[in-house]
Amino acid sequence: MAAAAFERRVLRRAAEHHYLRVRLELPDGGARPNAAQFKQLVVTALRELHGEVGAALPVDVLTYEEKSLSAILRVISSGLVKLWSALTLLGFYQNRRCAFRVLQVKPYISVSTCVIWQQ
Amino acid sequence: MHTQPLRGRCPIRAEVAQSPQGPRAPSGHRRWTGHRRQRPPRPRRRHSGSGCAAGAGGRDLTARPLPGPPRRVWQLPVGGGGGRGGGGGGGVRRAGSGMQPAQLGRAPRHLLVCERGHARHPRSRHAAHVRDHAYSCRVSFLIPECGLLPEVLKSTIADIGDYYLVRSLPIHELVAHEFIDAFVKKGSCYALTYKTKIDQDNTAALLPNGKLILSVDKDTYEELGLQGRPSRYSGKKVMRYIITIDLTDAGFHPESKKHNRVLWALKEKKPLEFDFLMAWYNTGAEGSTLMSYFSKHQIQALRPKITFSTLRDLPCPVLQSNDLQGKPEESCSTEELFEWLGAVLNQVSLDNKSSSFLSTYCCPEPNTVVEKAFLCTITGFIIPEKIIQLLEQLCCYFGEPKLAYWLTLTVHGFADSPVSWRESEHGFHKGGENLYNFVIFRNLDYWLQMAVGAHDDCPP
Repeated sequence: MAAAAFERRVLRRAAEHHYLRVRLELPDGGARPNAAQFKQLVVTALRELHGEVGAALPVDVLTYEEKSLSAILRVISSGLVKLWSALTLLGFYQNRRCAFRVLQVKPYISVSTCVIWQQ
Repeated sequence: MHTQPLRGRCPIRAEVAQSPQGPRAPSGHRRWTGHRRQRPPRPRRRHSGSGCAAGAGGRDLTARPLPGPPRRVWQLPVGGGGGRGGGGGGGVRRAGSGMQPAQLGRAPRHLLVCERGHARHPRSRHAAHVRDHAYSCRVSFLIPECGLLPEVLKSTIADIGDYYLVRSLPIHELVAHEFIDAFVKKGSCYALTYKTKIDQDNTAALLPNGKLILSVDKDTYEELGLQGRPSRYSGKKVMRYIITIDLTDAGFHPESKKHNRVLWALKEKKPLEFDFLMAWYNTGAEGSTLMSYFSKHQIQALRPKITFSTLRDLPCPVLQSNDLQGKPEESCSTEELFEWLGAVLNQVSLDNKSSSFLSTYCCPEPNTVVEKAFLCTITGFIIPEKIIQLLEQLCCYFGEPKLAYWLTLTVHGFADSPVSWRESEHGFHKGGENLYNFVIFRNLDYWLQMAVGAHDDCPP
């Protein structure tokens, strides 16, 4: 058998994107936003805190569950702090009180163990 | 050779004394130089002898830069409510410190280790890496161009084994010599506290090499009175300590002082009780089982949850086994594959357009669309021995000609485990990720990606 090559690379802070698992809390029990409205809410939060430049930050809503109002967001690594701070300071959705709960922030989109251990 | 000791010599004063203006008098004083002879500036000497702080290299330590102006830190509302399952109140994790404006664009440190080798090479380390990662909560494998569970894997999946959940188990039971002789010394025994948060609660873990790891907060550490070390990720004010007890140590026999001290601390001084997930892999030795040993406690046997699904029309990246970095227009890199695989496991849509409002994520280029792909997910407390068996059978899958060029095996570790690989300390920080992924090619070359977060050492 020919000698197989072995190679090892260690990448530090190399992830281009970060992934946030978030949940929107709407305690009043009214109509739930759909995926597009959810994305618009995220853009609004960025605009309120960081202005038009912040609102232009490319954020992807990878998954969205309307029933639990939880989503996985993808943002470039340099925009993580802006997005997270904007979500934290958002307080209203269509004049209804709301809050974003950031459950996990990861550089790799792996499965959340919060989801796994719901037994 | 130096003529005066460097110790106690202030480099700032030395530099000021040598300046053309000479030493300046402090404000409010008038320096009287009437009778003082004017001495020429003292020349700087190069120190090269032993016993000198400059050492043998002959470096001039007087030429140190002056300290800069104090750095001002602005407190930004970063991650204010960030926690898991509801934030606020007592469930809030420790918030991040204030950030300088320059750090707004900086993400937490994370590592991705990518290795390439051949599974049948005698010195291949793929099995060693799996064995070093003790606690796994989810194992998934994806086989392109396959619609059903392959025959070679059926027996391995069926024989995945049970694990046990023991409620309210006092931790001194794991230090008892009956337990050590029955389980720790015969085979590999794994135990991990269940539903404890690594950065808020006390956590314990038993490794298969017989080491009991306790990750406790400051108050518990001081009450226990056992020797430990501060957590590496605890910050300036140490709030977490790690205690390691080697149960298989020769000096830990029943009559030894060490054993008596540990037993007294865990049983009488500060009794600790946890819910434990346990599993035992015995090497054929007969004896009692965990179920019979802990029959006096609330113990239940659980079977890992196994789900199968077939994905249709899945775009898969094109890979070349001998090129980790990929080539434009020819193959994808290991990072792109890792990201794509995470998207597949989370059921993320891969056919978005660049003009889409919701998401622009799509499969990396170049890619091919496969008609079907088989995805199996096993969720539970899975031990490394079973993962190694699964990996071997996945290598045997390519023993016959197959359409697929590669397949993947992804293993997720517990986010709240006190250790990640071997005995390296693991912390949650913002995600607690410690996972690894194998890509096995047709020719049995493999890629291995190991990912850890900010509060982790580099995987071995």
